[in-house]
Amino acid sequence: MNNEVYVIGRDSAPQYLRLEAGEERSVTLVFLPGATGRHVLEVDLVGPGASLDLAGLYLCPGDEQLDLRLLVRHSVGGCVSRQLFKGLVGGTARASFDGLVYVAQDAQKTQAFQENHSILLSDAARVESRPQLEIYADDVQCSHGATTGYLNPDELFYLRSRGIPEAEARRLQMVAFLAPVLRRLPEPLIEEIHACLS
Amino acid sequence: MNNDVLLEIKGLHARVEDKEILKGVDLTIRRGEVHAVMGPNGAGKSTLGAVLAGRPTFEVTAGSVRYDGRDLLAMSPEERSWAGLFLSFQYPVEIPGVSITNFMKAAVSARRKAQGLPELTPAEYLKLLKEKMAFVQMKGEFARREVNVGFSGGEKKRNEIFQMAMLEPTLSILDETDSGLDVDALRIVAEGVNRLRTPETAAIVITHYQRLLEYIVPDVVHVLKDGRIVKTGGRELVDRIEEKGYESIDE
Repeated sequence: MNNEVYVIGRDSAPQYLRLEAGEERSVTLVFLPGATGRHVLEVDLVGPGASLDLAGLYLCPGDEQLDLRLLVRHSVGGCVSRQLFKGLVGGTARASFDGLVYVAQDAQKTQAFQENHSILLSDAARVESRPQLEIYADDVQCSHGATTGYLNPDELFYLRSRGIPEAEARRLQMVAFLAPVLRRLPEPLIEEIHACLS
Repeated sequence: MNNDVLLEIKGLHARVEDKEILKGVDLTIRRGEVHAVMGPNGAGKSTLGAVLAGRPTFEVTAGSVRYDGRDLLAMSPEERSWAGLFLSFQYPVEIPGVSITNFMKAAVSARRKAQGLPELTPAEYLKLLKEKMAFVQMKGEFARREVNVGFSGGEKKRNEIFQMAMLEPTLSILDETDSGLDVDALRIVAEGVNRLRTPETAAIVITHYQRLLEYIVPDVVHVLKDGRIVKTGGRELVDRIEEKGYESIDE
């Protein structure tokens, strides 16, 4: 499956997707430092067997006010949607994530998964994560999860005890955290993101 | 044997939050020596290792530590590593998303940079990695695995010894490296440690049991109880503890 990558503010990213029967879309949204404001994406799964694989990565090290609004609607049964959003939030930045997965009454055998994980890099940074499931069908497989935390201090000490300088150790931890989304990106963009982390 | 003092600990006190754990530790280690630090649970053995490696959780409230002529307590954990100190963790940390290869590459590069040595070429690094993996009998796919993720207890400890071999420390501190190991893994670990013994290097083997000391024979044995070294002797001390327990060791 072809993975579409959109760097917000640089590429023109879709705000609406409609997936017909059997259609498969893999989409990755990248919010580099400086990306700010509201970003909306609505997806309608309207034909059986449609599959959405959506991921996102946000880097907010400064004073960004990022507001992500995602709506995935399963109108018919037998469709799959997966969402994974990961981000690093530092400085005085604020990132909010609103993700609604809606499963209509007739959309039996729906599989819908949504995850949002953030790492806070400063005391003043804020993350609000609101994943929501609205399910009207009874034979579905759905889950959502959200975590917000800090870089693990035990990992950091372990890395430093092997001679990896603190800044480099933190960078390794950040890259590791973002790895599931980074894997979906082309090499030049990965390098650009690595450069943002150091 | 070179009789230079490598490590000199004087009156070391350390606490975590409000709890004082080390209450005045004195310990001198010379190059070429292996010291065992034994003691009951909660005596402060692991704290001693952690404080020497610079774990930020612990606060040193009094005392001094000289390492190779330098003030160890003034150095960051990474500087201690560059200066040749190595702690084998009792509970090695899992780092999802970081491969062993990348982890060790970052460690080796940082150390060489700190020592003013040129970076290894990819081929040189690969050669070093393979050589050290063979040293602890690790197979090829090991290098690609995420650090300690899904490792068995024995694999985690072998990974510690592998890292030790990669970094060729001057002072190795093995914190309960024997806990949770079957005999085969214990032998691999002990052989690894013994092959790294040189007249220039030293080791501190922290252990609750005598088992590891059948394989790594110490020159000096210390008993740590309630944050202090209460007894120092030779190998006969190990037998006495084995026979009569820690209760038999009085201050």
